[in-house]
Amino acid sequence: MDFIIITNNPRVRDEYGAKYCVLYQECSFDEILYAVRDKIHKGHKLLTHPLSGSVKPNETPYKSIMISAERGAMDNDSVILIEDAINMATSGKFEKYRQRQATLNQRILADFQMIDFFLITSGIESAQTGLMV
Amino acid sequence: MKTLELGYIHINDIIIGSESKVENGVLYVDEAAVKALVLEDEFLKDVHFDVAKPGESTRITPVKDVIEPRVKVEGPGGVFPGMVNKVEAVGEGKTNVLKGMAVVTAGKIVGFQEGVIDMSGPGADYTPFSKTINFVMVCEPADSLLATDPEATLPIDNEKKPEYERAVRMAGLKVAAYLGELAKNVTPDETEVFSTPNLKEGMELYPDLPRVVYVAMLQTQGLLHDTYVYGVDAKRTLSTMMWPTEIMDGAIVSGNCVSACDKNPTYIHENNPVVHELFKQHGKTINFVGVIITNENVYLADKQRSSDWAAKLCELLGVDGAIVTQEGFGNPDTDLIMNTKKIELKGVKTAIVTDEYAGQDGKSQSLADADPLADAVVTGGNANQVIILPKMDKVIGMLDYVDVIAGGHAGSLREDGTIEAEIQVITSATNEMGFNKLSAR
Repeated sequence: MDFIIITNNPRVRDEYGAKYCVLYQECSFDEILYAVRDKIHKGHKLLTHPLSGSVKPNETPYKSIMISAERGAMDNDSVILIEDAINMATSGKFEKYRQRQATLNQRILADFQMIDFFLITSGIESAQTGLMV
Repeated sequence: MKTLELGYIHINDIIIGSESKVENGVLYVDEAAVKALVLEDEFLKDVHFDVAKPGESTRITPVKDVIEPRVKVEGPGGVFPGMVNKVEAVGEGKTNVLKGMAVVTAGKIVGFQEGVIDMSGPGADYTPFSKTINFVMVCEPADSLLATDPEATLPIDNEKKPEYERAVRMAGLKVAAYLGELAKNVTPDETEVFSTPNLKEGMELYPDLPRVVYVAMLQTQGLLHDTYVYGVDAKRTLSTMMWPTEIMDGAIVSGNCVSACDKNPTYIHENNPVVHELFKQHGKTINFVGVIITNENVYLADKQRSSDWAAKLCELLGVDGAIVTQEGFGNPDTDLIMNTKKIELKGVKTAIVTDEYAGQDGKSQSLADADPLADAVVTGGNANQVIILPKMDKVIGMLDYVDVIAGGHAGSLREDGTIEAEIQVITSATNEMGFNKLSAR
């Protein structure tokens, strides 16, 4: 399955940028969700779940999401999943995490990058096991 | 008929010294022997042991896993098969259990997601492990795991964190198996028998009772989010079936570092409360058919496949009802709803056990996903509930991560030593198998 990774995680950019199609942008967690939503509107399919692990939205500043390289008709399931994730992330419930992001030290940031990296790695392994989604 | 007898040996005290034995309800631990066992692993440099007892002014953090020592006395295989014993199938015969105690592993693995256990004070009410006598192991990583880059911001090299997690996980299981072995020839204080008929026997025995299966969802989203079944990373399995008693022999172990409040430590797998409650009703109000295990992945096609298979197994078994439990929040909620919806569409009634992230005021939507078919839910509590944890006289482990453990927030470790945090920092506070006491009606 050919895929594109949309990410704001520098570790994913550094380790996978040369191997796979990685679209890196320096932006917030929410902005990654919006970027993915825009791609879905253009016919790309969501391949990994937009909420990561058990890490809460905005608890981590980093997010990597995998979408199909191919474009087709807009996929309704993908739209619902990304819209739900955006609603969850911007609901205000996780607002305190957003405020906390400014106070995170390098060590914690590196941990968050690592978790996001491992999660997307798990997605890549799955994407490489078959041709169909 | 698959029958397992659990023999409970009540442990009233743990004494660390120079010999290992279980005598008159006291567990004596030869410190040098268990240390040597732990340090067999090249990735661990040192280990410190301590005992934390209920009521003490002690805080354990960051907690990785909690394990109950057990040993096979009769029957095939050994505890934690595929991990510390051969992969031979377990779940029948006799198993002795050291009751009232736990092995607790602590160490800096992922800074923000390890848990807190307070042995007294308000925090103690929120964790089941304030009621056990805890044999705590703080494992130090070998130099080979440490970051070599002088500019590095982490004590452990990022690439090697999974190695460290594996080392700490295995150390905990090895020590639990070692301590369990001490009770192999001890006469239990009490016994409990669990028998599961096979499908044919069950239908003949209880033709009029509703047939119920337990669907256990295992956290498997990737490195540091893993659960192992007979030594296999459950991410790499299709949904499958088990005898409930296999779980009691440690066939499922935790290898994950997700939020403390709702991760399922190995101890809770061993004592799975859904399995125990279904056994209590078995032959009376229901016919407990068995356990379906399924996984929770990040890749959407994997979610689709796994939930299809869980529903298909329910259909194949022809059950009337299914209890579904999950592990984690957010992404796993999607698997939870997919499983529940698909199982319901097969004509099988479902009930979910989960916890909630409903905001500090409890007013927000509780789960990240929902469906009208998922209309029977038991909650394990609201993980966003705020708590003030007083200063403790003694800390086992290290406090430098408390500020950033999930749920803690900047300034949560106050100057006077108190911690203001959400209960999601507390190990098993809102356990999603219903092991703790929080709920709502």
